[in-house]
Amino acid sequence: MREMAFLGFALVLLGFWAMLTRKNILRIIIGFTIIDSGIHLIIVNLGYLPGRTAPILEKGMRVGDLSKHFVDPIPSALVLTAIVIGLAVTALMLVYAVRIYERKRTLNIDKYRELKW
Amino acid sequence: MVEPIYLFIILPVAAFLMGSLHQHLNRWQVFIFFTVLLFSFYLPIPWLIHLLKGGSTAQVFTAGFLPPISINLQIGIEEAFLMTIINLLGIMGAFYLLHHFRGTVYGPILYLVFIMGLNGIIMTRDLFNLFVFMEITSISLYSLITLSGSSENLTAGFKYIIASGIASILFLIGTIYLYYLTGTLNIDVMIASGYKIVGPAGSIALIMLLSAIIVELKQFPVNGWALDIYTASDPGIAAIIAGGSSSAMFFAAYKLLPLWSPSLSSIIAGIGIMTYVLMNLMGLKQVKANRLLGYSSIAQIGLLVGLSALLLHSTPVTGLTTIWIILGGLLINHLLAKAGLFWISGLIKGESLSSWSVLRKYPSLLFIFACLLMALAGLPPFPGFWVKWNIAMQLAQHKQFLWLGFIMLGTLLEAVYFFRWFGLIMKSELTTGIRVRISSLLPIFTGTFLMFFISLTMMNLLSGFNFNMLLPILIATLIFALKLIPGKLKALMTIFIIMFYFYFLLPELSGLYRLFAIIFFPLSALFMIAAMNKPGYRNGYFELLILIVLSLGNLLTSHTSLQFFYSWEVITVATYLIILRGVKRFDTALLYLVFSLAGALMILAGFSYSYAVTGSTFLGILGSSNSQITIYILLVGGFLIKTGAVGVHIWLPGAYAETEDDFSPIISAILSKTGILGLLLVLLLMGKSFAANTELNTILGWIGVLTAFLGALFAIFQEDLKYMLAYSSMGQVGYIVLALALYSHLGWTAALYLAFNHIFFKGILFLAAAGIIQRLGTRKMYEMGGLINRMPLSFLAVLISIIALSGVPPLSGFGSKWLLYNALLEKEWYLQAALAFFASTVAFLYCFRLIHSIFLGQEKTRFRQVKEASLWFLIPQYVLIALIMLISLFPNIIIEPIAQVMADFIPATLSWEGNTLMSSLGYWNGNVIMIITMGVFMIPLIGLLLRVRSMQKVKQFNIVYAAERPDKPETTHVAHNFFPHYQKALGFLVTPLVSKFWAAVSEWCHTIAGVLRNIYTGNGQTYALHIVFMVVLIYILAGV
Amino acid sequence: MLQETVTIIAYAFISLLVITIYGLTLNGLVMKIVARVHGRFGPPLWQPFIDIIKNNAKRTMIYHGTMFFLGPVFRIAGGIGTYLFIPAIHGSEVFANFSFSGDLLLVMYFFFFGQLGMALGAGESGHPYSAIAVSRGLAQMTAFEVPFALSVISLAIQYQTLSITGIVSAQQGGILHWTVFTNPLATVAALIALLGMNMHSPFDIVLAPQEIPIGPPTEFHSAYLGLLQTNRAIFNLAKLVLFMNLYFGGATNILILIIKTFSIYMLSVIVGVSFPRFRTEQSIRFFLGIPTILGILAVIFQKL
Repeated sequence: MREMAFLGFALVLLGFWAMLTRKNILRIIIGFTIIDSGIHLIIVNLGYLPGRTAPILEKGMRVGDLSKHFVDPIPSALVLTAIVIGLAVTALMLVYAVRIYERKRTLNIDKYRELKW
Repeated sequence: MVEPIYLFIILPVAAFLMGSLHQHLNRWQVFIFFTVLLFSFYLPIPWLIHLLKGGSTAQVFTAGFLPPISINLQIGIEEAFLMTIINLLGIMGAFYLLHHFRGTVYGPILYLVFIMGLNGIIMTRDLFNLFVFMEITSISLYSLITLSGSSENLTAGFKYIIASGIASILFLIGTIYLYYLTGTLNIDVMIASGYKIVGPAGSIALIMLLSAIIVELKQFPVNGWALDIYTASDPGIAAIIAGGSSSAMFFAAYKLLPLWSPSLSSIIAGIGIMTYVLMNLMGLKQVKANRLLGYSSIAQIGLLVGLSALLLHSTPVTGLTTIWIILGGLLINHLLAKAGLFWISGLIKGESLSSWSVLRKYPSLLFIFACLLMALAGLPPFPGFWVKWNIAMQLAQHKQFLWLGFIMLGTLLEAVYFFRWFGLIMKSELTTGIRVRISSLLPIFTGTFLMFFISLTMMNLLSGFNFNMLLPILIATLIFALKLIPGKLKALMTIFIIMFYFYFLLPELSGLYRLFAIIFFPLSALFMIAAMNKPGYRNGYFELLILIVLSLGNLLTSHTSLQFFYSWEVITVATYLIILRGVKRFDTALLYLVFSLAGALMILAGFSYSYAVTGSTFLGILGSSNSQITIYILLVGGFLIKTGAVGVHIWLPGAYAETEDDFSPIISAILSKTGILGLLLVLLLMGKSFAANTELNTILGWIGVLTAFLGALFAIFQEDLKYMLAYSSMGQVGYIVLALALYSHLGWTAALYLAFNHIFFKGILFLAAAGIIQRLGTRKMYEMGGLINRMPLSFLAVLISIIALSGVPPLSGFGSKWLLYNALLEKEWYLQAALAFFASTVAFLYCFRLIHSIFLGQEKTRFRQVKEASLWFLIPQYVLIALIMLISLFPNIIIEPIAQVMADFIPATLSWEGNTLMSSLGYWNGNVIMIITMGVFMIPLIGLLLRVRSMQKVKQFNIVYAAERPDKPETTHVAHNFFPHYQKALGFLVTPLVSKFWAAVSEWCHTIAGVLRNIYTGNGQTYALHIVFMVVLIYILAGV
Repeated sequence: MLQETVTIIAYAFISLLVITIYGLTLNGLVMKIVARVHGRFGPPLWQPFIDIIKNNAKRTMIYHGTMFFLGPVFRIAGGIGTYLFIPAIHGSEVFANFSFSGDLLLVMYFFFFGQLGMALGAGESGHPYSAIAVSRGLAQMTAFEVPFALSVISLAIQYQTLSITGIVSAQQGGILHWTVFTNPLATVAALIALLGMNMHSPFDIVLAPQEIPIGPPTEFHSAYLGLLQTNRAIFNLAKLVLFMNLYFGGATNILILIIKTFSIYMLSVIVGVSFPRFRTEQSIRFFLGIPTILGILAVIFQKL
């Protein structure tokens, strides 16, 4: 599963590239979500152990076997939280984008420079 | 004690209720809001008390598991303390924001979530949980910022989200890799298993985590977005960002510090302290108030970060240690002061610094403002002062002198822009835009009050309670409270208080200190009689005078360097304020303050160095044998600034001349002696074997004599009466420095005799100047002339004093010259003696110019009706004349006690035979000289008187010159540019090279600041790029 | 005690009288010499006596103010005082004057007493020339005092005393013990300074005939002028006696005193008739140039 980690990093870099070079704030936001996805992939990958299943308790499983059957549950939990937070931040960013556009009628980040120095 | 976990239940529940039931809640909404906030404020208090009493740190476990499996919270003394103040800030901030929240239900909800997030950041011991709380705080802040909804707000908020988003990405990657390496998310366990964090993955994870925290802490250079937030958001929000979230984030960093140390400690220290210095440097160029406050906030947090990295090193300190108190004190000082300033900024309509001048109409607000600035600048009596002192001591003890130097530089820069701002407020045109609401005022006042309280606590904890140190401030405040007492009565009260204090102080003092007490108390009280002439309340003037004089007394009774330094700073600040009251342009006062503070910092450095070597702040020991040169240079340098030695004298003429006319005598005659006291103490306490022999004394001597010479030379070219006297003071104090540098019995006797004599004649001259200026309304000497007929009493006073100044026998000045030259020759400082002699002849030039231009020559038409100066000016002058006459006739009554005091330190080389004073070289009998002079004067006088009868005075226009009658006195009075030939011959010596040098220093600072701040382009993407660069830079610096 | 005091005062009067008569004669003589150099016949030797008797006998009815009135008094008090603080003849009780009250530093500073008082008097006269002259005089004075002070410091190193009597007694026992031979640099520096003090050309910028005639005393007449003229004789001689004491071995009797002071004065006179006047700034630069360097060298050589 190392490919997954590389993919994750690739996504992160791609996202950074988007955030740093695109002028349209919507694209920047998209870049941000791409990074987010990449990170989620990395996290999940770190907790993955080959041949094991998702850490979900089902009927008939014995408690003693849990650690042998499951992948590390903590990264999975973290990823869930991270996704929620990422969602919230993305939503907020989009709200910002909308409201900024209402005021300034432009989505170009270079035009938001009334405050500097 | 309530379990802290309830915070995370009650706050969100309340927020949820308010959100979903807001139609039904109506007024109850505010009630719930504040109840919940009060609860959150109350919660940590019992914990704090419990922990302070020695209770143990409590862990709160969740989900029924022990860590590392579950998340745990911790409430130790640091957490309880920080939660208390942050939640208190939360209440005050909420109160302030009340109007802002009116009509919106989301504001209070977000606010509660925000507060909960802060508490979470503080308490959690789980790395991922920390991330979650950071996100909760950020998200609620993103939304709070937009509530007022201006376009600046939105763009600033968007930049914030980008930066913070990147920070959370870095944090997350760092966290997950740390988890991967250590198998835990619990911070304590992670720290304990630090050995597992190895290899490239480990260091990169640590660096990413660090970078994320640094972005959140708004450190240089990844803080452009933060400046925009401070500028754009509502001041109420900015206050809780600066105070609340910065403090909580700092605490997060504090928790994680052991994780990064020791490999990354120096990088963190470097980033923190560079942030402090550079943000303060860039602050110099700011003209917008809120942005300036932003710069200062970031700088303060930088200082905190840097200090904790420097002082905590590898072992995290717990409990009430000094280091902990420093960090806590700095944090609370910053939190309260900065929040207070942001809150005040919310009252003021304009954006620019000068729009704050409206505060002048609200003295109490102005007072608060001044207090907050002083707190941030680390001046007494605020917590910042104790912090500054202890930072210096601790850093010196850890041998971190380079960092200490940087911190001092940052402090100075901060003081420059803050007090420039204060000056601007005091002196620029009154603006009108202000909106004062009770709800806004309450938190401001509470915060300032709290600061005093905390300062007392810190004093108690760090150095022990000392009532004497507070007394001057208490008395001054008390008098200030008696607002409606007329000025004259206040003047009387001031004199009375000073003499009363003197009465109690005198028995405690002995020897040298007693002599200085006489200078500081009765003589300054005498000068204060002059204050009776001015009508009106003169609010602040007398209070500051009391503060200054009583603190001078405390200077004398100080046993430790801390006490000394405390009083020293009080005097500096009070003098600055009193100068600022009087001057027309604030830069004069600012110059005084900046140079004085720089001097004070040098003194502080000297004391801290001494502390580092000896481990004691006791004044009796200044350094040990291998550190004396450094201490000597630092302390002497600091005190020389106060004396206005050449090179650092540029503050002096303005401060002496532009201040109020009845304060000029006090500052130039009395306060100039504080520097002398300092120098004398250094020489005395440095240890005789070192201080008596060091070659540095020779340099000090040359500085003294050059000051004397250049001071006199500058004085002769002044057209302005008070500037002339100011430069003359500079020169006279130069002689005293020269005499002190001799380190001989004769030299020191000369020094103190010179000091007393200088007080007498300079007091008369400045008082006479005050009387004249009051009547004439001008300070230009060439506009005066012929006033001998109008002001004979002032003339006589000036005549006596210039004779005493110039050293012509038979008056007291000759005694000082005789002692000085004998001391110089005895020490074999021949060339210095020659230059001193040259300087003393140059003094004749300005003495004559002074008396001629004002009193002699042609009377001007417009001043034909002026009256003699006010009696209140004449009374002290004539008392001083009596003193001059007394010591001229019987020099022994003053020289003998001085020589005896000095004989305690150095074997005497001066002896007496009746009234004749004998040194190893010469002799002098002041008494006989006086009688002979009287004799040879009286005989021709009587002879002349016998030959004149029915004398008639020639009228002004009865003289004839070059076949013309002087019908225009203006053209006949030779006064303007009185020494053109001297200017031609020696004018090159008075090119203001020193002023140019300091102007260039200032110019360069501003230019560098201007260039540097260009990195804050205003573009969110650039800011994101900064973060990337910083990560790379840290990576390179860490050398992984 | 009383008797002692009276004796001292009586001696001082005698000493002063002698010196005044000699001083006036010297002035007359010099006027004559200068006139002969100029190719004139010149006034009689006793002209100064005639002048002061005439002027002092005149009554005046006007004055310009108190300081104006006191100016000449200050001036002559300064002259007399300076003379009286110098021991004129070594070993003589009559001519020891009041030298017990102070040392060389006292004399150096008492020089200024009369100048300052006179400057104030001249200032009150309101005449612009007076003020200009005072400004010039003070400026030049600061300059020539520098080589003089350096020279005195050199003497202090040489003799390890500032007492004039001490300096004189150290020079006794032969012409080669005189400072002029033992410390020529200091002597030269001081003698150049003396040229400035005596205010002969090229340093006559204060009285400066044809330019600001006659400077400070412009408004002073009759009795005032009489006092000033008397002072000129006394003060002049006080300086000469001081120089004689410091550099030329002092005098053991009145004859030697006359010879030595006359010779010293001739230096000023010769230079005076030979050179045109400096401008003020030239004079200042002059004194702060070579003479000052000589003075510094004198100090350095003594210290070595």
